[in-house]
Amino acid sequence: MMRRRAPAHRRPEAIAAYCMVAVPMLIFLLLNIGTFLYAAYISVWNWNIRSGPVDFVGLRNFERILGDPIFQIAIRNSIYYTVVWVPLTMAVGLFLAVVVNQKIRGQTFFRASFYFPAIASSAAITTLWIFLVAPDGFFNEVRGALGLNPLFQLFGFGPHQNWIGDRRTALNSVIVLNAWTTSGTFMLFYLASLQAISREVYEAAAIDGANAWQAFWRITFPLLRPAHFFVATVGMIGGLQLFDQAYIAGSPNGDPVNALMTIVLYLYNALFVQIRPGYAAAVGIVLFVIMFGATLVQRRLFGGTPAS
Amino acid sequence: MNAADAPGRERGQTLRRRLAYTLLLGYALLMFVPFAWTVITSFKTLPDATRLTVIPDPITLGAWEYTLSRLDPSVVVLFANSVFIAAAVTVTNVAFGSLAGYAFARLRFPGRDALFLIVLATLMIPDQLRVVPVYILFSSVGLTVGAGQYVAVIFVTAVSATSIFLLRQYFLTIPRELEEAARIDGAGFFTTFWRVMLPLATPALAAVTILAFQGAWNGLFWPAVFLSPDSDHWTLPLGLTLFRLTGGQGTNWPPLMATVVIATIPILLLYIVFQRYFVEGIAAAGVKG
Repeated sequence: MMRRRAPAHRRPEAIAAYCMVAVPMLIFLLLNIGTFLYAAYISVWNWNIRSGPVDFVGLRNFERILGDPIFQIAIRNSIYYTVVWVPLTMAVGLFLAVVVNQKIRGQTFFRASFYFPAIASSAAITTLWIFLVAPDGFFNEVRGALGLNPLFQLFGFGPHQNWIGDRRTALNSVIVLNAWTTSGTFMLFYLASLQAISREVYEAAAIDGANAWQAFWRITFPLLRPAHFFVATVGMIGGLQLFDQAYIAGSPNGDPVNALMTIVLYLYNALFVQIRPGYAAAVGIVLFVIMFGATLVQRRLFGGTPAS
Repeated sequence: MNAADAPGRERGQTLRRRLAYTLLLGYALLMFVPFAWTVITSFKTLPDATRLTVIPDPITLGAWEYTLSRLDPSVVVLFANSVFIAAAVTVTNVAFGSLAGYAFARLRFPGRDALFLIVLATLMIPDQLRVVPVYILFSSVGLTVGAGQYVAVIFVTAVSATSIFLLRQYFLTIPRELEEAARIDGAGFFTTFWRVMLPLATPALAAVTILAFQGAWNGLFWPAVFLSPDSDHWTLPLGLTLFRLTGGQGTNWPPLMATVVIATIPILLLYIVFQRYFVEGIAAAGVKG
């Protein structure tokens, strides 16, 4: 007999439930859990896209990846992007959330406006951005009209600086773009947690003579610790996966001169330009290990339950 | 509510408040400026596009005509591809998400917790880890050529853990009495789900519909993986990217901006009408942390 936990009278319930979850579970087992193992298998082969495994190479794909200077650039770019972009976007998102959480007129309008840049596709918004920061684009024209050019000259940027096409500024331009579009999403994440903080805490602080600034740093900020952790984790995972904007602005090569080469772009390149599936699978494993490791480190640093 | 702020206890306070409002309003308007500039540019000529003028001189439909009739593949084809893929992915996510969400929330069956753990575990596996095996798997069954390419993109995004999770959480909040009443009347599990629970879950269904549609409509990674070889299969985001990169449209800004407008308008309309569900969906997806 089969081992069965469900008593006989509940069997129809179990059968109905299995029918309801069957398709998604099969898809997940095949395309998520299964592919995870399959990727690990492919990564130790020299693999042909049509005929399959050619010869077993063990960990040589991994050695080559870690020794490739382009991959080192990709790692450096992805980490730089993540380390700058995540805190910047968190700060803007938190600021917007605190503002929108106040009892202000037009609350809904402000919330809707701040989230607005997040609704468009990365392709649309990046194309738009490339146009705005082009050498004779909107941004350069506006700063010229405002008489800010001497200030930019101080940092070595001419009046027709090609922000996205110059290797010194390409990645930072993408950081600003994504901070702008994603801060609205982070705002919504923070807002959900802010609304859970009871007003009484603030009333007590006000009686103690704390001003708004002190109340923010002594009460709001520490109480938001779980939200910080969540947003930082989501942001970090998204940051290490940077692909769309780099691909749209820099093509699969990460132009200009690898300035926009990211880990995922490197993987895409290995699979579709160089057509080396085994190598690309190994890049995927490396990315997963980096992401997993970073999540663990973050949990050690900021995780755990706050002492509230 | 509470719109009337205690009227000017001090002059300074009122002044400061005015200043804060002005800054806030300015920042909010700044969110719209790039889009407004896009729309304006799409009515300009190319030489005029780089000038800092709000009113195009001359105002022309040239870029729109060019975009609608002369791009290859036609923007109409891209639009149709995007609609087809986004609609299919939305339908599968809502259907599978609500069925599985209901089962995980309400039905008792052996292995339920283990299976739900698998659902959540998929969130940990990045698409980039999946891409090589999925591509190899799909190419071995003919899903990387011809119409199979559409199937590939739809299949790989057909159901997400987020859809199941959001609907499960919502079903958990619905009182049990309602479905028990239906059960006493002799309704089966599927009838109860369809007649009683699904109508009660409208807000969550709306949130999942919007999240899934937005994700599929805006998605670039999977279309870039599966649809790149055949330009007839491109979606709007992919077309927009490849037009600029490879089509020699590099700096032909007005038609590019017209394409940006076309790619953004459906989502914009959805956002204007269903703003609430966008906001609630994102917030609910974030609460799981």
